[in-house]
Amino acid sequence: MSKVGIPRALLYYQYYPVWRSFFEHLGAEVVTSPPTNRTILTAGISRAVADTCLPVKVFLGHTMSLIGKCDYIFIPSMTSFGKKTYNCSKIIGLPNITRAVLPECPIILDPNIDLEKGRWYFYHQIYKLASRFTSNSVKMKKAIDVAWQKQLAYRKKMSDEKITSNQALFDLYGSSHSASSQKNPQGNLTIALLGHPYITNDEYLNHRIIYHLQNMGANVLTSEMAPQTAIDAAATRAVGETHWAFEPDIIGAGQYYTEMKVDGIITLSAFGCGPDSMMIVWVEHRAKETKTPFLPLSLDEHSSGGAMLTRLEAFLDMIKRKGTKLPTPTPAYC
Amino acid sequence: MKTYLGVDVGSVTTKLVLINENYDLVASIYSRTQGNPVDMIKKGLQEIRNQMPQEAQIAGVATTGSGRQLAGVMLRADLVKNEITAHAVAAMHYVPDVQTIFEIGGQDSKIIIVRDGIVVDFGMNSVCAAGTGSFLDHQAERLNIRIEDFGSHAMRSQNPARIAGRCTVFAESDMIHKQQMGYPTDDIVYGLSQSLVRNYLNNVALGKAILPKMVFQGGVAFNQGIIKAFNETFHTEVFVPPHNELMGAIGAAMLVHEEMRDDHRKSSFAGFGISNTEYKISSFICKACPNLCEISQIAMDGKVLARWGARCDMWDRIDKK
Repeated sequence: MSKVGIPRALLYYQYYPVWRSFFEHLGAEVVTSPPTNRTILTAGISRAVADTCLPVKVFLGHTMSLIGKCDYIFIPSMTSFGKKTYNCSKIIGLPNITRAVLPECPIILDPNIDLEKGRWYFYHQIYKLASRFTSNSVKMKKAIDVAWQKQLAYRKKMSDEKITSNQALFDLYGSSHSASSQKNPQGNLTIALLGHPYITNDEYLNHRIIYHLQNMGANVLTSEMAPQTAIDAAATRAVGETHWAFEPDIIGAGQYYTEMKVDGIITLSAFGCGPDSMMIVWVEHRAKETKTPFLPLSLDEHSSGGAMLTRLEAFLDMIKRKGTKLPTPTPAYC
Repeated sequence: MKTYLGVDVGSVTTKLVLINENYDLVASIYSRTQGNPVDMIKKGLQEIRNQMPQEAQIAGVATTGSGRQLAGVMLRADLVKNEITAHAVAAMHYVPDVQTIFEIGGQDSKIIIVRDGIVVDFGMNSVCAAGTGSFLDHQAERLNIRIEDFGSHAMRSQNPARIAGRCTVFAESDMIHKQQMGYPTDDIVYGLSQSLVRNYLNNVALGKAILPKMVFQGGVAFNQGIIKAFNETFHTEVFVPPHNELMGAIGAAMLVHEEMRDDHRKSSFAGFGISNTEYKISSFICKACPNLCEISQIAMDGKVLARWGARCDMWDRIDKK
């Protein structure tokens, strides 16, 4: 049985169930890299070209940890998910980037998912991929159908139960997909945490931000906890036609959660992210318009989360203290 | 007389204050941390005790600043508060109609936006210490002047040099160039002050609605050159409150007063005896997983009081004997 490696980074958090189920139905075994840890990050940084972003560095580290453990590594080129909607160039070029910096990598399976090119192109790409494992077209068709149902169920599970990708993957696949964030407490403070799922779910990169916020008594809502149709529609309401693949996750969720009147919005982005530099500013404007407290956080290779905790504490204090004024005895000066 | 102790352990300086129930300052200490917060807290506490009036008793203890966890454990504080909230509370007390608070300390700088006595927004410097007290400290050292004299040099400047302020390394090479061009020290010093203010406004304060009344606090507010640069930028007087350097500690003390009064609690303060207690701080690398977290711990008489630095809960549990 051939083994297919899936790096636990980038689009993993959104598409793992469809990928895994597809390969398993074709008779392959799926190997997943462990959650991000220091060794993985250090390895990734050591091989990345200088100008890539932190999530790509982490991705390379995950890929390196799979070398020698599988026959193939699955790195799709996720180009476009809809009409005139494109992904970040680093994600589009991911199989080529990986090939260039990690020549020792086993065969990379790199279907080009480009819905802009139409349905037949998509089927052709999937067919080409599946033919490595089987020549039985009925089996292929079944694998596609089952996998897609799995994906829809996964997406629905997150929005129905209001859980993060991490928690949903834990429920579906067990202990190797651990999550330290819990189900939301019934706090009276609701915070929307906006960012790419590969940042909000990677607990090494984000210093367990969700866990810490929950410990400070906040309900944390992320984009995956809203139904996909709702954030898609919200993104259209906000900016019209979308052009970035992640607009629903950041702008859409920003619009949706400000309409829900959450108590505060925190954005979490990786230093140097191109698309974020525009989308986060949009959310900031939206937060100002709706008078929603707003805290932008940006992550890099820091190993200590202390500075982040100070900001989170101060942000929640600011919201909690709204309306509390200290009784001021006669102003002492000025 | 009930008094409240506020302790602000910063990266560069350690501040301790004692306030009474009317928020008046009863005693205060301001000293350099010198990389040894434990000893500074112990020494500071001793000093506070010497300054303290006979009839005073400690009814609440709060810690703040980047060393707030450590100080909180040592003193058995009733409240451990982040420095943003603490600074805002103190500024609003001294200047009730404040709308903008600039706070520049040793390694971080912040801006706090207040409307009608409520904090509505804040910003803090990101990774780099450019635009903070450390930046000035380094440059003063390079110019071979004492940091205490920095302000008076700046005030004498006639024709300030324009110096790049984005990054300490760039500023340094720019400064050397200006020295070689023959600029007098006074002009370079004021140029540095202006570049710090520019850097601060372009990074920390970016996009914030800065309205008067503006308050400038933190250790750097001692520096006349920076105050002048702020005033020139805004064409208005930036107000420096009395005890600008103690504001964080005062705010923490005010907050613990509020909390103790609301909860009718008794202080868990460890007592002045801790000045004579041996604390041992040590660190080790946890090898339980590939993360290799650096764990530091504080122990008193061989008993571990607290640990920090882990990415999981494994070391959070302390065996209580």
